[in-house]
Amino acid sequence: MTEWHEKRHGLEQRIADWTSRTGFTISVRDDLGHLNLRGDLGSPGFLAAAEETIGQPLPQAPNTISDGDSTIFWLGPDEWLILTPAEKAANLADQLESSLSNQHAATNNVSGGQIALTLTGERVREVLAKGCALDFHPQVFTEGRCAQSGLARANVTIGSIGGDNKFLVIVRRSFADYLLAWLDGVA
Amino acid sequence: MQVNRLDKGGRIDRSKPLKFRFNGKSYEGYAGDTLASALLANNVSLINRSFKLHRPRGIIGSGAEEPNAILQIGKGAHTLPNRRATQVALQEGLVARSTKGWPGVRFDIGAINDVFSRLFSAGFYYKTFMFPQSLWNLYEDLIRGSAGFAKAPKKPDPDRYEHINAHCDILVAGAGPAGLMAALAAARSGARVILADEGTEAGGALLRSDEIIDGRPATNWVETIATEIRGYEDVTVLKNSTVFGYFAQNFLTITERTEGPIRQREWRVRARQVVLAQGAIERPLIFCNNDRPGVMLASAVSEYIRRYAVLPGKRAVVFTNNDAAYQAALDLHSAGATIAAIVDSRRTGAGDLGEQAKAAGIPVMPGHIVTNVSGRKRVTGVKIATWDGATEGMVDESIDIACDLVTMSGGYSPAVHLHSQSGAKNAWDDSLSCFVPGEAVQACESAGAGNGRWSLRDCLEDGARAGKVALAKAGFDMPDIAVPAASSQAVKPLEPLWRVPAAQDPDRCPKQFLDFQNDTSVADVRLAVREGYRNIEHVKRYTALGFGTDQGKLGNINGMAVLAEALGMSIPEVGTTTFRPPYTPVSFGVCAGESVGELYDPVRKTAVHEWHESSGAEFENVGQWHRPWYFPLPGEDLDAAVARECLATRKSLGILDASTLGKIDVQGPDAVTFLERIYTHNVGKMQNGRCAYGIMLGEDGMVMDDGVMARLGDNRFYLTTTTGGAAAVLGWLESWLQTEWPELEVYLTSITDQYSTIAVAGPNSRRLLHKLSCSVDLGNENFPFMSVHDAELAGIPVQLFRVSFSGELAFEVNVDSNHALPLWQTLMDAGEEFDITPYGTETMHVLRAEKGFVIVGQDTDGSVTPIDLNMNWMLSKEKDYLGKRSLSRPDCLRTDRKQLVGLLSEDNTTVIPEGAQLIEDLSAPEPVPMLGHVSSSYMSACLGHPIALGLVAGGWNRKDEVVYAWAAGCEPIRARIVSPVFYDPRNERQND
Repeated sequence: MTEWHEKRHGLEQRIADWTSRTGFTISVRDDLGHLNLRGDLGSPGFLAAAEETIGQPLPQAPNTISDGDSTIFWLGPDEWLILTPAEKAANLADQLESSLSNQHAATNNVSGGQIALTLTGERVREVLAKGCALDFHPQVFTEGRCAQSGLARANVTIGSIGGDNKFLVIVRRSFADYLLAWLDGVA
Repeated sequence: MQVNRLDKGGRIDRSKPLKFRFNGKSYEGYAGDTLASALLANNVSLINRSFKLHRPRGIIGSGAEEPNAILQIGKGAHTLPNRRATQVALQEGLVARSTKGWPGVRFDIGAINDVFSRLFSAGFYYKTFMFPQSLWNLYEDLIRGSAGFAKAPKKPDPDRYEHINAHCDILVAGAGPAGLMAALAAARSGARVILADEGTEAGGALLRSDEIIDGRPATNWVETIATEIRGYEDVTVLKNSTVFGYFAQNFLTITERTEGPIRQREWRVRARQVVLAQGAIERPLIFCNNDRPGVMLASAVSEYIRRYAVLPGKRAVVFTNNDAAYQAALDLHSAGATIAAIVDSRRTGAGDLGEQAKAAGIPVMPGHIVTNVSGRKRVTGVKIATWDGATEGMVDESIDIACDLVTMSGGYSPAVHLHSQSGAKNAWDDSLSCFVPGEAVQACESAGAGNGRWSLRDCLEDGARAGKVALAKAGFDMPDIAVPAASSQAVKPLEPLWRVPAAQDPDRCPKQFLDFQNDTSVADVRLAVREGYRNIEHVKRYTALGFGTDQGKLGNINGMAVLAEALGMSIPEVGTTTFRPPYTPVSFGVCAGESVGELYDPVRKTAVHEWHESSGAEFENVGQWHRPWYFPLPGEDLDAAVARECLATRKSLGILDASTLGKIDVQGPDAVTFLERIYTHNVGKMQNGRCAYGIMLGEDGMVMDDGVMARLGDNRFYLTTTTGGAAAVLGWLESWLQTEWPELEVYLTSITDQYSTIAVAGPNSRRLLHKLSCSVDLGNENFPFMSVHDAELAGIPVQLFRVSFSGELAFEVNVDSNHALPLWQTLMDAGEEFDITPYGTETMHVLRAEKGFVIVGQDTDGSVTPIDLNMNWMLSKEKDYLGKRSLSRPDCLRTDRKQLVGLLSEDNTTVIPEGAQLIEDLSAPEPVPMLGHVSSSYMSACLGHPIALGLVAGGWNRKDEVVYAWAAGCEPIRARIVSPVFYDPRNERQND
């Protein structure tokens, strides 16, 4: 069955064409699996069960990231995005389903539906500001912050993680080709 | 020859001569010139023709207020229409043309309009083009042809534009003395600052002044301060950048005219605090023929002399009602021009500057007015009268003075445009005789001349004050900032002179222009009043005063005053019109930014897209998706390909990429309760593992969306929506959950992109899946129609749905999109023995139409109920659901509503055009009653004849009746009303 783990995101050509530019590079994070988790923090036991299963805290402050073996984005008061090594995603989804089976919760493995991009470089904040209305000032969009917003004409989740000028941008798979074309144009 | 260029001075670079062309002739200017200063340097005084009357016009101003010198810049695809020569930086090889005047600006046939100008009075269009009404289309063409300034380029713009979003603590609009002080305060306190100025360099009015700040020339001070401000890390200084719009929540837009690969950039700024320091605009004086080339604003004359070293005339008359114009007289004098006279309407004359003028030997005529101008394409002289201050009646213009330049000043008006755009009112200041910014309604402070502070000392102080206030509001500590020393002169106050009395009655005298750009004169406004107009907004629309790109920069206040006089009201009683964005014209290119070409709108692609592309699919847009439309073999057209795809699917096996369907995961203990309220059918009765067709209605009872839903567990459902409706449906469901039924425990998650959906349809579909070692029993007993199973297919985990949108035995395979392309390829390979045929949306449409399945949005249009679609069986009587009550409205129960029917063309060969209207009687008198229309229509290869679906009033009672389908450009087609199900009416194939 292993051959099916070879991922095809349809962006191979774009990435192959992508040359590292002054102050700005981009890579497709094939190594990450994506889980969407919904749950009620007010419900007894939800938080404990979820955190025990994942092995790290769920961020509760709006627009923050919890970083550990997995990278967890706060998406809403009852919604999180868990980025985890791709090979573990299906397993973690199953574990969450079972540990939260007596909770009002929902787990969806969305690894196939989203593309994560890493954007790095001195001018990455400037590139993001061209397409997104959020404030990317280094003292405002600090490391560990995330947000859902629009980048150009695509909906994205953006997180600052792993360094001052390093961002994860997560986009729906069907919009990824457009977004890369846009990034190529403005970068 | 730059005959008007002074030997020395100015902020131009004489080592960099630049060649340019205007109206086909070559000229030379210098780096640092604007197109306007370069034209004046070359003694080109006739620049354009006026909008309506085609009068000769020259340059009046030196900045954004210029109403006449609106030119076409550049050629071909790069051309820029509608540009003010005063704001176009001169460049090597620049090409400019007048925008009015045919065949040319010197001899213009349209000038006949001026001769008959009485015909072209206010409301000319409304009065002239009313009758006969049937000729309106012709009139419209003529009016459009003569309207506007310049021509839009016909070719795509080859230049690049971009947008950038920015945030700051303090946005300062304008880098004159007040703006610089505010920005300096903000920068020193560590705030994030954006300082934007429309000029090529900071300084504003200081660039044309000889004032002293802190003991050194003002321009020197400007350089020091601007350099300091630029040095702070969180400060962005934008030159050539116009703040053109002020919107809600301190959101402002700036266009930056850049150099380099990007032609223009639009800044979208969210500012915590704003300091408005755009300065003030000088007002013209309103005398007869005040529009002749050679009549200029005093501030502009100073600017051309001091900033550009251009002397716009040799012998000048200066006409003023305030002290400011005396500076221009002194500048003219020291540049070597003769001042024939300073004509001052005030009997008291001027303050300190008046003394300086006298000391320079300049003749001053207090208590006099300029009443008229002679010369047509260039001023040759003026007529002057003594004046006792009476605004009524006529004067005796007994004095003639020859001159080639009339320099005028009617006082200053603060540029309150942005303040006004922010939603705030302007307040009339009687002592200053101008509107000043009223109370702010957003987080903003006005400062400097834009706040009615005229002297340099006041401007510097007010700028520092505004900066500090903004900083305090933004929570910053007070910076250490001292206001530099500047002189303040003794000034005699302005005496209002809104309309200069003439030798004739104001309605019969030569034109006294209020709004040069729109050719609106005093007589036009007075005529509007005589015809019953009272409100300034109505008068504006009737006379065009303050219209268009000008936005009343020069004319508005004078116009209001003239209106007030005619109405016997005060100026504040009359009020101002609304200033609207943009402050100056903004090019369409920068509005679009990067969203052109490939990036115009996102193209969404499925995970199988590259296979479709390499297989030669033709694509169509479905929402933002690019979907395969059909897969032509070499030599095939649409019809041939679709016929082949349809037959292959019905006879053996077709395969469709249906990944674009919207997909929503629904989980929670209240999932059933929630879905019962959304869908019309009995959701609770669905067993686990079973599917159902579902429709949802709007609150008006009309069909909103449809799709297949599956029950995956007691508390878990999977919904599909139409491709185009996916986002709207999710939003609709969330809005009910979050705002109306927050007590329901339900989570919705969009999984549209997570799963790719591959439909395999046709009698061999089960054999295909079987061949790929499907892990579940595909037989009817275990896997009946409308059921779902988790399975593995060729080792890939999938979700299998036995559903059919073609009426054939069919399965839809949901697969993790990461595996979609390999699975598709596997299915294609394995299907070879069944002649597997990929099909696109067109074949999908034909197959479903043969079965009478509707497409929401094609066969429905928001005015169709499920009853109209003969779907009563879908409507549960045992529960409530959205839209249910509306279905019992009398209108929804009418038996003559438009109902879904099938249509067959009587000749059995003609495919009726979609959208064709259906009528009963060809000889019926107009307007012919419409029975309905054709919503879907195709050639059915499998039936061998065309089929169509349509909505027909009372259609079910008209079975077998013949109607006429009539579309534009076609002969009427006879069509018979039949059942909408054309193929396999007993559904034997899908249940096979």
